[in-house]
Amino acid sequence: MKKVSLLFSALCLSAGAWAGAADQITVQEPYVRLAPPNAPATGAFMVLKNNGDKDVKLLKADNPASKVTELHNHINDNGVMKMRPVAAVEIKAKGEAVLKPGSLHVMLIDLKAPLKEGDSVPLTLSFDDGSSKTVEAKVVRPSAAVAMPPMQHQGHKH
Amino acid sequence: MGWMQEKTQERLLATAAAVLAGLLLWLTIAWQPELPEAPLPRAAAPSGGDFVLESATGPVDLRSFRGRLTLIYFGYTYCPDVCPTSLAATSEGLKRLRPEEAAKVAMLFVSVDPERDTPARLKEYAEFFHPGIVGVTGKPEELASIARRYGAFYARQAVATAGDGYVVDHTSDTYVVGPDGRLLGKIGHATPPDEVVTIIRNYLKQN
Repeated sequence: MKKVSLLFSALCLSAGAWAGAADQITVQEPYVRLAPPNAPATGAFMVLKNNGDKDVKLLKADNPASKVTELHNHINDNGVMKMRPVAAVEIKAKGEAVLKPGSLHVMLIDLKAPLKEGDSVPLTLSFDDGSSKTVEAKVVRPSAAVAMPPMQHQGHKH
Repeated sequence: MGWMQEKTQERLLATAAAVLAGLLLWLTIAWQPELPEAPLPRAAAPSGGDFVLESATGPVDLRSFRGRLTLIYFGYTYCPDVCPTSLAATSEGLKRLRPEEAAKVAMLFVSVDPERDTPARLKEYAEFFHPGIVGVTGKPEELASIARRYGAFYARQAVATAGDGYVVDHTSDTYVVGPDGRLLGKIGHATPPDEVVTIIRNYLKQN
C-alpha cells in the first residue's frame, strides 16, 4: 500500500506540477464536533479556500471513524430545521466554502467507536476532477467550538 | 315639607347640570373617536402552559420551576447537527451567566422522539451540554399537545442512512417561560452565546 502511494506520488512529481483541485484548495481549521454520549452521528466542519482560478466541487468525504460519511446541508423551512444530504459543495474560484454547525457540513454517521476529545480523524476530501486530499480533523467539545469558532481568533475585536 | 322637597330637587338639578357640563367639557377635550378598524385575522399566539414529563429521576412538573426563568428546547438525541448546534450555543450562554443569575435559570430538553430516547439516555445527552439541563420525554400524544401549545413543530422523515432509518425535522427555538409559568418568548435557533446571555438578563430584569 505504502509502495503504491509512494509510486503514485513519484509519478505525480515526475509529471511536473499537476495542478489538481486538491492542490488549489486550502483547508482551514478542520474539526469534528465531539458527539454526546451514545449519539450515533456527528459533524465535521472546516473552511475550504479555493486559491485557484477554477470553481471546484467537493463531491465526497470519507473517514475511517464512521461507517457512512455524507455531505449535508441544513434547510430552514419556515423555522423547521431539516438536514439533508447534498451531492456537492461548490467552492468558487478565489472563494471559499464554509462548513459550520447549522449549515453545510460533513456528516459522520454510525460512529464505529465513540470519539474522544483531542482525538484526530483523518478526513479524505475528493474533488470533481478526481483529485483528493486528507486533512486531520481534531475532535473538539461543542461548547469549545462555539466559544472559539474557527477564523474568529485571527483578530481581537475587543 | 314641600319647601324642603323643592330645595332637594333644585340641588339635584344643579348637580346633574354640573355633571353634564363636565361631561361635555371632557368630550370636547378628551374624546377622540377611534376609527373603526377591521380586526386582522391572526393566528392564536402559543399559550404555553404547564406539563408533567418523565425524566431519569422521575416525573418533572413544570410547576416546580416557578420562581425561575425556564428554557425549554424540543429536540431528540439522534439529532445529528441541529440540536447540538443549538444546545451548545445555549449552554455556553448559560455558563457565562454570573452564579446568582444562573441560580434563577433552569432548562428542559424535551425529546419528541420517545421511541428512541429513554429518560436515561436523555439525561446523559442533556448533561453533556450542561449539567443543569434536565432531559424529559413522554407519550407521543402528550408531547404533541405540549409542542402545539408552545408553538413547536416536528415531523418524522425517512432517511436511509440515519440511525434506524429516520430523522425528525423540528423547530429549533428555545422557549422562555417566566417565573410565573407564563410563556414569555423564544430564543432563535443557534443564537450565539453572548446574545443568549443578553436575552436571559433582560428577562431576569423584567421578572
